[in-house]
Order: sequence, then C-alpha cells, then structure tokens
Amino acid sequence: MTYHYNEAFENPDYHYSETLEIDRSRERNSSFHQNLPESSLDDDSLYDSYEGRSGRGQRNQDYPMAIPMASMQPGFRYSHSASRSTGPNTNPYGNPHTNPSFEYEPELAYTSPSTFHAVDGPYVRRSSDVSDGGSFSQRYNRRQADLVYRMPSSLLRLDSNAETYNKDKYKQEEKLIKNLASMSSRERVKAIQKTPKTMKEKRDIRNKVLMEKTKTFVSSSTRINCCTQCLYKTALFYRRFKNGLSEYLHLLQLWQKTLKVIRGKFGTSVLSYFVFLKWLLTFNIFSFLVNFSFITIPQLIASGPNNLSFNGLELLTGAGYFKKTVLYYGFYTNSTITKTENNSSYNMQLAYIFTIGIYFIICFFSLVYSMAKSFCKNFINLQTYSGSAAKLLCIWDFNITNEKAVKLKQSNLSTQIKESLSEVTLEVLNLSLTQRIARIAIHLVVWVASLGIAAACCAGVYFLSRNELQLLEGNKSELENEAATLVLPIVVSLLNLLIPFCFALFGLIEKFQYPRHQLYATIIRNVCLKISIIGILCYYWLNDVATSEKECWESLVGQDIYRLIVIDFIFCLLGSFFGEFVRRIIGTKCCKKLGVPEFDIARNVLDLIYTQTLAWIGIFFAPLMPAMQIISFFIIFYVKKVSLMRNCQPPRKVWRASQMTTLFIFLLFFPSFTGVLSVMAVTIWRLTPSKQCGPFQGLTSVIHAVSGWIHVLDSYSSSKWVVWIYRNLIGSVHFFFILTVIVLIITYLYWQIIEGRKIMVRLLHEQIINEGKDKMFLLNKLRALQTSKLDPPKGEQQERSSSSYQPSRQDALQMTASLERPFGRNGRDFYAESSSAGIPEKTGLSPADEEGHQPGISETLALALRARQQAEWEMEDDDEEDFRP
Amino acid sequence: RFSELLSKEERESILQKRVPKSKILTLPELRANPFQDRICWVFSTSEDGDGSMSFEDFLDMLSVFSDSATSEIKSHYAFRIFDFDDDGTLDRKDLEKLVNCLTGEGDETRLSESEMDQLIQNILEESDIDKDGTINLSEFQHVISRSPDFASSFKIVL
Repeated sequence: MTYHYNEAFENPDYHYSETLEIDRSRERNSSFHQNLPESSLDDDSLYDSYEGRSGRGQRNQDYPMAIPMASMQPGFRYSHSASRSTGPNTNPYGNPHTNPSFEYEPELAYTSPSTFHAVDGPYVRRSSDVSDGGSFSQRYNRRQADLVYRMPSSLLRLDSNAETYNKDKYKQEEKLIKNLASMSSRERVKAIQKTPKTMKEKRDIRNKVLMEKTKTFVSSSTRINCCTQCLYKTALFYRRFKNGLSEYLHLLQLWQKTLKVIRGKFGTSVLSYFVFLKWLLTFNIFSFLVNFSFITIPQLIASGPNNLSFNGLELLTGAGYFKKTVLYYGFYTNSTITKTENNSSYNMQLAYIFTIGIYFIICFFSLVYSMAKSFCKNFINLQTYSGSAAKLLCIWDFNITNEKAVKLKQSNLSTQIKESLSEVTLEVLNLSLTQRIARIAIHLVVWVASLGIAAACCAGVYFLSRNELQLLEGNKSELENEAATLVLPIVVSLLNLLIPFCFALFGLIEKFQYPRHQLYATIIRNVCLKISIIGILCYYWLNDVATSEKECWESLVGQDIYRLIVIDFIFCLLGSFFGEFVRRIIGTKCCKKLGVPEFDIARNVLDLIYTQTLAWIGIFFAPLMPAMQIISFFIIFYVKKVSLMRNCQPPRKVWRASQMTTLFIFLLFFPSFTGVLSVMAVTIWRLTPSKQCGPFQGLTSVIHAVSGWIHVLDSYSSSKWVVWIYRNLIGSVHFFFILTVIVLIITYLYWQIIEGRKIMVRLLHEQIINEGKDKMFLLNKLRALQTSKLDPPKGEQQERSSSSYQPSRQDALQMTASLERPFGRNGRDFYAESSSAGIPEKTGLSPADEEGHQPGISETLALALRARQQAEWEMEDDDEEDFRP
Repeated sequence: RFSELLSKEERESILQKRVPKSKILTLPELRANPFQDRICWVFSTSEDGDGSMSFEDFLDMLSVFSDSATSEIKSHYAFRIFDFDDDGTLDRKDLEKLVNCLTGEGDETRLSESEMDQLIQNILEESDIDKDGTINLSEFQHVISRSPDFASSFKIVL
C-alpha cells in the first residue's frame, strides 16, 4: 500500500477526507480477513495500478489463457490479476448448491463510498453489474480503465477499491472452485453448465477446478496408474460414441422439420396439438408392435387361407372379407399352436389375454407417469398463476420466426393487453343482485340445455343401434346390410361434428367473465357429449350385442368400432377440407368481417382423444386396431398441417400450452382410459364369450382361461410360486383391501404435508414483503441522516440494530432455501439488491450535497456498511459451518 | 456449424473472426424477432459494443436457447435481454420498452399513455415482491418459475 498512500498524501483532498481512514481500516480489515501477507498486498496493488493505467481493456483477452497455471503456483499475484480480468463474473445467483456461502456485500460496501466521493459512473454501473455478472464485466472494466486514466485524483481510490473488490472476487472464485473440486465430475459439469456465463469463463473455471483437483490428487497418490487411464479412455470413448449416436438419433426423429415450420409460423400453442398427436401415435405404434408380434404372427403361422370375396365397400364397413382375417377377434383360434419339430407350444388363449392385459398395464403406468410429471411441472403454484405480469414477461414466443406471424402476434398481444386492462376496470363495477341472478340463471339454463342435448344424442344413438341390430336379423341382401351398418357411425360422427358448434354458440350467449372459464366450460361439455356417446355405445355392445346369441359377437363389436373409426376419420378429413377451406373462402372473399378461421386446438385435441378411446376399446375385439389408428393419425397429421398452413391463422387468445396439455393428458386418462379399463373388466370377467369362434370359445368367461391355466400349473411342483402368487395376491380380497388402505394412508399424509407447505409458503411470502419494507425503511433513514447531518454514532446504532437481526434472518433464509428455491434466492439477494438499488439514488443525491457534509455522511455510510459487512461475514462463516457437515 | 453459413469466405479462421451484427440478424431465426438487438447485445463479448459475435458467443447463444438449458439460465438471460438499460433491474422504462417491443411499433397497436401506465402498475404490483419499484433478477425468476410455458417458448430451434 505504501506506494499508493504516498501518492495519496500528495493529494490534498484525499489526505483530509476522512475516508482515507476508512479505506485504510477497511483495507486492513479485509486483508486480515483473508490472511494475506501485507507485502503481497502491496505488490499487488502496485501491479494493479500499473495495469490500470496501461489500459486494462486489452489485457482481458490475453490473460485467461494463463489462468490454470497461475492458480497452481504459489505466486498468487498473477492469478489475482487474472481473476480481475475475468472480472466480476462470479455470479451471486449462480446456484445456491455449488456455492452456498456466496456473499456479495463486502465488495459492494467498498464500492459505494467511492461512488459517493468521486462521482464516477462506472462504479454505479459496476455495482449494479454485480447482479448481472457475466460478460458485461469486461465492458465495464474497460470503461473503468478509461476513466481512471482521465481522472488521476480518483485513481487511487478506484484502484484500492478495485483491488479489494477483486480480492473478494478472487476469494469467491476460489471458494467456488474449491466447492466444485469437491464434487463428483458429473455434478461439476452440471454446476458449471448452470452458471450463466460465457463459454470462455466457463472454460476457465473448469480448467481451474481441474487444476485444483489434480493438485490434491497428485499429493495423495503420486501417479495415475495404467488402469485408471484405461478407464478414463474408455469413458471418453463411450461419451464420444454417445454424442455421435445422439446426433443420428436426432435425425431419426419423426417430423422434426415439419414441427419446426409449424412452430415458426404458429407458435407453441398450435404446436402442442401436433406434439400430442405424435405422442398418441407412439402409443399406437407400441401397441401395434406388441399385438402384432405376440398375437398376430403366431396366428398367421397357423391359419388357413381366406376364401371370402373382396369388394371395395369392406374398407368402409370392415365386414365381409375382413371377418376372416387377423383383424378381428373371431379369427383367432383357441388351440395351442404347436410346431412339429419340437414340442414348444404356444397357447393362444393365454397369449391373447396376457398381451392385452400387459399392454393396458403399461399404458396405465405411462399415462400416470406423464400425467404426474406434467402436473408437477405445470401446476406448481396454480392459485397465484393468473397474473398479467407473468403473462407479459414470458409471453413472447421466441420460436416464432415468420415475419408475418410476428406482426400478427404483436397486434394480438396489444389487443389482448387492452382487453385485459379494460377488464380490470370493468371488474370494479359491481354487478347488481338482479344482474347476478340473471347471469347465474343463464348459466344454469345453458348447462341444462347442453346436458339435455347430450342425453338426447345418447338416446338417439341407442335406439338407432338397437334398430340396426334388428335390421341385421331381417333378410336382405348382403350389400344392403353392409350399407345399412354405416348409418350408425355416420350419425355418430355427425353428432360429434355438429353438437360442438352448438356448444360454441351457447358460449356466445352466456357471457363469462374470463375467457378461460368459457374455454373450460366448452371443453367439459364436449367431453360430456363424447364420453356419453361412447358410454352408450359400450352399453349397447355389452348389453345387447353380447347377449344377442349372435355368432361371434366380439367380431361384430370390432366391426362397429372399425366403422366408427373409419367414418370419424373421413369426417375429420372432410371437416378440415371443407370446414376450414370453405370457411377461409367465405372469410376472405364474401364477408371480410369473419376473417381467416382460427385453428381450434381444443376441438381438435378432443377429437383425437375420442378416436383414441375407441381404439383402446377396440383392441380386445380387433387386435390390429392400432395399425388402423397409426395410418389414420399419419394422414391426419399431414392433412391438418396442410390445412393449417393454407387456411388458418394462429389462435387469437392466449393458450397456455403446457397447462392445457396437462389437462388433455388428464382427460385422456380419466374418463377415457379408465372407462376403457372398466369396459375391458366387464368383458373379461362377466361376459360369456361366443361359442363358435375366437380364442375363448367354450369358456363361461374370459378369465377362466387364466384360472384353468393356474389349475394346470398346480400339478407341476416347479411353478408352485406362480400359483401361490395368484391365489394369495391377485385372487384375494384381503390383499387388495390392505393395499388400498395403505395407499389411502400415504395419500392422506402427503395431503397434510402439502397443507403444511402451503402455510409455510404463505409465511415466507409475508416475510419477504416485510424484508422489502425493512429495506426501504432503512434506506429512507439513511437518506434522512445524510441530509440532516446527524451524529455518526446514531447511524451506526441504527445499522447495528439492522445487523443484529441478521442472524435470525439467516435462519429463515436457510429454511427458505431448503423449502423453496425462488424464495430462498430472493432472501439471499436482498443484500445485493438493496445496495444496487440504493446506490443510484444516493448518487443522485450526492452532487447536491455540499463539500462540508461529505465526511460526516460518508462516515455514517461507511460505518453502516461496515456493520453490515461484518454481519455478512458472520453469516458467511455460519454458512460454511452449516454446509460442512 | 451454423456460423459457417454466415461468415463469408474467411471460414479458416472462424474461431477468431467476429461476425457483424447485421450478418447475425439475417439468420431466419432472429430476423423477425423484436428482441434481436438485445439478443445480440447480451451475447456479444465484443469490445466496441457493436453487437458482433464470435463463434463462441454464437454457441453461447444457442446453448441458452436450446432445449437442454435449465430454466434458471434461460430466465437469467431473458432478464438480461429485457433489461434494456443494463442496470440490473427492470424498472419502468425497461418495462415500457418491453411492452412496446411486444406490441410492435405500429400506431394502431401501440398502447396509449394511460394504458401503459396502468399496465406497468399492474406488473409491478404483481411481481415486485419487495416493493422497491423495480423488478430484480430474483423477482423475475420467481415470476418465471410460475409460468411453465416459459421454458418452451424461450427457445430457438435451428
């Protein structure tokens, strides 16, 4: 320091200002804290000041290369300067994991007095830069250097400040590196990836960490033996291989390009429909593979030739020729397929039931899994969700790349914002009682009407189907019969197509306060309609067709489902061709008011769910139903894409893509998949399979196949355990009773934990608000002190009081950190933020102050800041202790 | 890989070369983006602040906008992109600029003065947890953490 202080003594302002003392004491303080030898400090500062003059900017590029070496050597000076050149990049929010005891304030405390004196721009910026981290620092460093050059009087202070600043930086970085070095390599990579810095800085840090590691490693075991080297090499090779492979896998992904185009033109919301479609497609491909390999291939080996004639209509009706193909249940045999060479046999009954059962179980788990995952991701904090701020801050879809789409999006956004603003003003108007009653009455009427429509549809479908059953018994020509069977699916599809429009009209009549409510109401009504139609069809199949003593009723059901799917598919195509296309023609040519149609995501997704439900039901009755589904989804994908590109515009409303996706997965699970499961259960346990065909002919119910098999197994001693499991676990009521009780208890416990957490979150939120008030209060006090020239001790006292509660605050912070990340962070950052927010205001004031005030004020400030800083150090130490065990 | 497309003939020295901002902005992914200037500014490590990018900066940018970046990193950079005056907080002016970027510069889409005031008031009321009149990084991240769509929309796919 000697060099500097000599200069300082020559400088009269500085000599007389009391900050010198403070600076000194702080210098001492910090050096003490860091246990640095005084001499190295001196050298350091000397070095730095030279560097400062000769322009730090250019240096920035050169040094980082040397860092790894520097950090190895005891010559600590060099690396010190290097750490400056990387600047204030160690980031306070980097992540609490890697660097729990990361505190910023000490150096902020240093910077702020300097802003007070020599009102130097860069420092203000610099202190705010703290919250920024990252590559800005380089720019700031450069600017600062320029300034230093120009203002020799402030040079010293700047330098000494910069030095302590950098020391702190260095200290922090060292700590970070140590922390990183103590981690496992995978954690380290993750941690480094998480820090928001430029690549160069990341690389530097990694190199340093590696150096640190090797240093400790070398000291413990002097050489790396051959074995570890080998391991290392194979690991490296494996990683490279994986990277290469993933690149190729990326190419294999279906529709990558198309999805990107859609994303670019229509944004994430429309994309979610296509992603959902793709997801369903993978489900179907999986089930097709399973069914084909375990049921169809063995049957194909054993089957004889098909001698029915084929005409075109069968593609629509699924009857006739297809009756005697692997498409339907009725074609499969009940015998065990035996090959002549060896005695290995294949029991068709068991294969059928186990394949389908296992497929449903896998479906169940994957649905539950994806549902839980998306719930967990998207519904974390639902009650506080509906904020316009959140909407605004993250509304921009960076995926949109088309210029026209950007324009459209912008205008949509602006109308949206205006609407929401007017909504806010509208909400203030209190509705009178009569108005409210009228509104509720309208809602009720509309609900009753829509439910009534759904019920009427169901009744109509039921009677139509019963009629058809009788019609089939009448003696007419084959062709007429087949054509007649098409009536039912056409009616159903028409209902599915038209009634939603009706519901949409209802939506216009009743005025919801929020568009979201309207969306949900429409979705719920549509789901009601579709599910009740499917339900009534299932009832008809299970109750009427199954007991109608027909030959092969399972195949009949399969045919019905086949027809429903095919006709629905055709209607979907027609709908997108004529509905959207004609609508566009009308919208653009005839009446301009209507405009280009929007892509209705909800309706389309519900259609998908509907067909998927049908396909699931159909799997038992027609094992190759997934194949059809695959084909139809494929075509739908392209048709929808073309129709979207040609006819539609992106939806005007905000579409919370991820939330709605969650809702749709839930819908797919709850009414549809669970409904399918119950239908399956009824068919397997209750119904008598047809007597003449199918794998289960002659049995009283399908499940008898399994119990018969168990009976056979009972005679073999080697497979007793299977029998035991079946008897005691699957077949016993007690086991399921106990299981249910356990699950209920666990659910209850979790429920209670959630409640507790909610209370905790609320308390912590209140605490944060209090902290904010606290901070504002302190700042105000400080400013008041500044202007009224009070005695320094008072200021100190006040700050002391503020520092005295910091430990308790710290406890709270740790709790927060362990409980909820964002809050924890908030708490932690308060300091950085308080100073960075405070400083500009102070600088705003300071020029107005007269010269004479400054010493006193600066002293109070310095004292205050020192007190705070000490508290910080205490905290830091505590933190370290906390995290050490 | 992509950098090769933009830099013209000097591909041999790609690691040293800086691509000027105008070139970067011709990328189809950035061309229409209203935040293109900010993106360039934030990710550029250029000395003169002209928004030119080196290959590494480019990689940085893509890694932030990629799928695998954590939402923390994403929100950090989003914050910096939205922080128009680089002072570490989002204050009223930043928000105003942000809203203007979102709604476009056209006369009919632009918000009126009072609307803007009210909007910013709303935003601050909701997201400024400690009531100091600005949104800082942690508050911003808190807001972001509550909107699950952010991670999927803050993304650029090449």
